[in-house]
Amino acid sequence: MSSILITKSRVLDPSQQLDLQADVAVSQGLIQQIAPDINPHGFDQIIDASGCLLTPGLIDPHVHLREPGQEHKETIETGTHAAIQGGFTTVCCMPNTAPALDSPLLIQGLIARANQTAHCRVFPVAAGTINRQGSHPAPIHALADAGAVGISDDGDAIFDSSVMASVLKACADVDLCFMQHCQDPTLTRNASMHAGEIATRLGLIGWPREAEEIIIQRDLTLNRSVGCRYHIQHVSSAGSIDLIGTAREQGQPVTAEVSPHHLNLTHEACAAPDGRSFNTNAKMNPPLRQQADIDALRHAVADGIITVLATDHAPHALHEKQQPFASAPFGIIGLETALPLYAQALIATGLIDWPKLIELLTINPARLCNLDRLGLGSMALNSPADLTIIDPNLTWTCTEDQLAGKSTNTPFIGETLTGRAVTTIVQGQIVHTMLPIHQSGQPSL
Amino acid sequence: MKKNTSHDTIQDAGGRLLGLDGVDGGRIRGLLESAKVMAETGGMGGAGEAGEELAGKTVGMLFFENSTRTRMSFGLAVQMLGARVLEMEAQGSSLAKGESLVDTALTIESMGVDGLVVRCAEAGGAWMIAQHTKCAVVNAGDGRHEHPTQGLIDLYAFAHAHGRADSWDLSGLTLGIVGDVVNSRVARSAIAGFTTLGARVVCIGPVAMVPEAIRCLGCEVERDLDGVIGGMGGGMGGGLDGVMMLRVQFERHGGDGLRNDGAGRLDYRTRYAMTVERAARLGDGAVVMHPGPMNAGLEIDLEVARGEAGGGRSLIREQVAAGVAVRMAVLEEVISGKNV
Repeated sequence: MSSILITKSRVLDPSQQLDLQADVAVSQGLIQQIAPDINPHGFDQIIDASGCLLTPGLIDPHVHLREPGQEHKETIETGTHAAIQGGFTTVCCMPNTAPALDSPLLIQGLIARANQTAHCRVFPVAAGTINRQGSHPAPIHALADAGAVGISDDGDAIFDSSVMASVLKACADVDLCFMQHCQDPTLTRNASMHAGEIATRLGLIGWPREAEEIIIQRDLTLNRSVGCRYHIQHVSSAGSIDLIGTAREQGQPVTAEVSPHHLNLTHEACAAPDGRSFNTNAKMNPPLRQQADIDALRHAVADGIITVLATDHAPHALHEKQQPFASAPFGIIGLETALPLYAQALIATGLIDWPKLIELLTINPARLCNLDRLGLGSMALNSPADLTIIDPNLTWTCTEDQLAGKSTNTPFIGETLTGRAVTTIVQGQIVHTMLPIHQSGQPSL
Repeated sequence: MKKNTSHDTIQDAGGRLLGLDGVDGGRIRGLLESAKVMAETGGMGGAGEAGEELAGKTVGMLFFENSTRTRMSFGLAVQMLGARVLEMEAQGSSLAKGESLVDTALTIESMGVDGLVVRCAEAGGAWMIAQHTKCAVVNAGDGRHEHPTQGLIDLYAFAHAHGRADSWDLSGLTLGIVGDVVNSRVARSAIAGFTTLGARVVCIGPVAMVPEAIRCLGCEVERDLDGVIGGMGGGMGGGLDGVMMLRVQFERHGGDGLRNDGAGRLDYRTRYAMTVERAARLGDGAVVMHPGPMNAGLEIDLEVARGEAGGGRSLIREQVAAGVAVRMAVLEEVISGKNV
């Protein structure tokens, strides 16, 4: 295993409140030293990261890798290829596969498959109910032992309150977070986009904010006596922020994540570019909402109400997205465009700084999924050398050719973005880099 | 190998008629004027005879959803223009065998058609086909979105009834659209067309059918039909010059909408049906329209629809009669580029 020296970067590790100009030495796959001016002699590989940020490897606690059963959309191999290109060294994959990840054997199989094919670390989130049907709790203790790092019926909320209470209790028993996809199915029948002017104009059935807020309200009430770590996925509504903020002030164990698209796009994207189109690459669940929601979500990040960022990377094939709007599936890909989109929404607006952004992309999601216990999300000495080098000023245009995943369903094709992961290192191995690497034994140029 | 995610912007003018929202007044007036010529002369062939406006052309009829009047009316219009009709049966079609909307359209286009008339149960169906084909495309109704030829028919009949069929200027006139606006493609096309030609449009109905958000289409919203008819409610002042009664589409309402049971029907009829009694209170010049198909006895009494009782003047037969001429004008425009 080769040794690596990364020089002259700004080292950001929110887990240790580190923010300094320094070199970082990696050997045996572990963080060996963080200090200014480390002697480069003897390192196998040297990367000059001047002008860049060096951070713990980014962690995305919400992606869809589509294995098993939906390999025409994405595989663990292709999805994690997209992940490392976006700077992610760890992804947590959702259980809405075919079959759903609701048994220990499937969790073990997923982990084995990832060990064979993944480009980065993959941890499975297991289903909360059998086949994600919401009627019978899954064997959550056994799923935890098999390696699940969270529990979720993502794609659907658990709607039956008694089943929900049972699942929350089981999650509390094994100290796994429960991740809720907050959607009241009775308020979203046949709905395909935010209930507002655009849906009205296009003749599409609207999806109200209340569908999200009602589930959050119920769950916070249920969880008051249980005390499970309750996590709200892809929050979209300003009203939800009020509920989460109040619960956190009361000390309830609730966290929330927000996606790049909900921080940057409104429902107008569904009718872009002329206001009369039907852009299925802007169709997602929960739907893109309005500017007031974007403002509330962004400020919730700045105010510490939202503490986790997640892409909800959701690949779909062309023939699936190329249907009338109401028939097309929900979701967009996000791993490769996430970092600049977060920066655009949160840093360029002056709401937070880079150390804060990195906290929401490293140690906070690590803690959510108990990955901090493995040393992930941190650059503490002797922790795994999962590292991301970010050029915060690199401007690039997103094109289909650059996307490593199987699908290209994103409304950000053609967008010019600022900021990019230029090197990704997993367990001391350089798996993606756009920077020149000086190899020892080669003459210096 | 990578996929098409780029957007071609659809041309509003020429080759396509996907909706009336965003279509300029000049194009609408031109289509109505052409329709008037078609209606008065029967086109090149003369009254009742096929002409040669689109001789040698072929029009594909892609009706992915059932339709009676629209399909027959378009079919007759194609024949009157001297073009061939290529019919697709939705039942047992390639669509039913799993082929996508777009691929079915591309297949038909490859046979050499000059235009496609598309009826689809989903909003955006015709738009999506137009994104991927080069031939002319006419939307014959897409879900709850638009039904632009019906909108033109309604404009045509209304303008004739009010003596505006030369200027096609509807300013100073007010149309009330009553009932299930939120679920109506006819209403969306009518709101766009009538407001573009200068009319005032007031949508009247319960919240579940006429949500406040409908105002974004450029219309006003009222709850009290009797007040509006009486000229007293909501600052209306002059009453209505016409009412368009919409079909109540219970099947499109979710659980939070109006329910198709005794209570739901009674509620609707009490406040919003065009009963004989209510029609009697319409002003002398007011017309009564309905795009069909009617739920007679629910949103409109049969006597009113047939013009046998009540006030106002039923335009329902005129609406249907105008259909062929309007569709002839539209097909000629999108296929040959001719707009008066």
